[in-house]
Amino acid sequence: MSSDSTRKGVREYFGLTELGDTPVDQKLTDIKRRKTIRRIYTLVGVVVAGALFYASLVVIGFSITELINQIPQFLEALTEYFPPTTYYGIPFIDVMQYWEFMVAENLFAASATTMAIAFAGTVLGLPAALFFGVMASERVVPYPFNFAFRGTMSFIRAIPALVWVLILIPLGGVGPFTAALAIMIDTTGYLGRLFTDELEEIGDGPIEGIESTGANKTQTISFGMLSQVFRQFIAWIAFDLEHNVRSAIGLGLIGAGGLGLELNIQRKTFHYTEMMACIILVILMAGSVELLSQRVRAYLRDEDEVEQTGFIEAFLTAPRKIIESTAGRR
Amino acid sequence: MSTLKVDGLSKTYGDVVALRDVSFEIEDEFVVLLGESGAGKSTMLRCINGLTEPTSGSVTLNGEPLAGTRSEVGMIFQQHNLVEGVSAYLNALNGSLNRTSTLRSLLQWQDRSEKRRALESLETVGLLDEAHQRASQMSGGQQQRVGIARALVQDPSLLLADEPVASLDPSSAETVMAYLKKAAQTHDITGLVSLHQVNIAAHFGDRFIGLRDGELYFDVENGELTPDLIDGLYGNVETVGLAERTDEQPDESNDETVPPLAANEQVSV
Repeated sequence: MSSDSTRKGVREYFGLTELGDTPVDQKLTDIKRRKTIRRIYTLVGVVVAGALFYASLVVIGFSITELINQIPQFLEALTEYFPPTTYYGIPFIDVMQYWEFMVAENLFAASATTMAIAFAGTVLGLPAALFFGVMASERVVPYPFNFAFRGTMSFIRAIPALVWVLILIPLGGVGPFTAALAIMIDTTGYLGRLFTDELEEIGDGPIEGIESTGANKTQTISFGMLSQVFRQFIAWIAFDLEHNVRSAIGLGLIGAGGLGLELNIQRKTFHYTEMMACIILVILMAGSVELLSQRVRAYLRDEDEVEQTGFIEAFLTAPRKIIESTAGRR
Repeated sequence: MSTLKVDGLSKTYGDVVALRDVSFEIEDEFVVLLGESGAGKSTMLRCINGLTEPTSGSVTLNGEPLAGTRSEVGMIFQQHNLVEGVSAYLNALNGSLNRTSTLRSLLQWQDRSEKRRALESLETVGLLDEAHQRASQMSGGQQQRVGIARALVQDPSLLLADEPVASLDPSSAETVMAYLKKAAQTHDITGLVSLHQVNIAAHFGDRFIGLRDGELYFDVENGELTPDLIDGLYGNVETVGLAERTDEQPDESNDETVPPLAANEQVSV
């Protein structure tokens, strides 16, 4: 008797009983049924997610014991990342170890390689950026046709520098040359786009002023349009060079030479102190270039404001910006 | 010596008639174009200059039809239309673009004579000492004088100016107009200047053309610009009273001929 009533209560709870007599009872049963179905789906979802999570843990070889066992090694690595020493009895990081490695491995030459990749890539990409940037402007090339140039630049920007360098490996091998080529292409798409945007904002007045002198089309574009944005273009070039230095560091990590490559080599050989020396140099380089570029831009754009990064901020955000620059932008 | 002939000029923008069958002829004069905003002054100047294509009618300079922009016609704009980021000298030098090949102009390899002419034009407008300054660092009046210098470098036979002093203070406005008239006189250039300030117009103009609703309302010599004509152009406004007060003579002075030297005197101040 009691088990029967319990069973009935359970059936009622899950909405499995006969529909009731009154509309209210019917609706109540209906709602309970819906709830039951939802519960079943949730249950299935949790089971599937749990199974996938377990499978993932098996694949990555997750092991708490190993984590605990490895802690001494990690602490040891930490002392290698930041080798301790004492200065006048005060414990501090042994900066000299970094310095000695930088000198011994001539990391400054590697830094120069990275800068060279960025600079050469920027200069090589500049003529194409200028050409595409100007031709994409509606004022130079009439409406539907300028989209051929806009589209090309969009296509280039859609593929990050990191992927361009992979695509171009058959052309120049894995090395600085290919990295510079990738940056050249990246610059064409990105700097060109910045040029176009800048050209959209210029006034009609000076263009008409030059036109009225009887100048030809090329002269009107050069003296009426480009001369209005000359300083802004220089400022954008400084910005792009800054971005390309970050890109070049990132491309080095996948073997394209320079400081990034050096960092990668030290990682592969578990030389933690040397790795940290590379990281420090990378951050210093990226941060300094950013600060320098901002100074140049602030000087060139006297009336427009240039975003100002703080001294410490420039270095702290350098790693994130390196990744952003390498992995593509906008 | 040059003759500008405007014959039956009309211009419509969609349904809006900006100019309706306007005809006149100017020969070696300094002519002031008067009229309310929207009366068609700018459209007229732009049609003559070639920046705007007229709907019908013709414009000829010395018997030759004017089509498109050309160096014989210099233009001075209300908003100067200089390239602000470069020096007054380079702005003036831009006036020689028509005579210089694209490559030479890009490399700034203009003839020495062109460079001298640019500086001489700046001297004409009293800006030789400021020639190296960026246009953006100059005052409105100075920028407009650079605009005059650029037009002079073109070596035009016709000089157009579209409200050249509308955005200037009264003193700068007079200075700019004085330089403009001096430039036209010393280089034997026919001038056609649209103005809002009736007193300035009366002072500097040899002849006055009034436009109302896109039609020619009057075309009179210096002595014939009466307050009635001005009232007909602008409605009953106090501008004529202003003109009377600023003039030397206390009585009805608009009919008086302004001594032609007055312009040069002001320049030397």
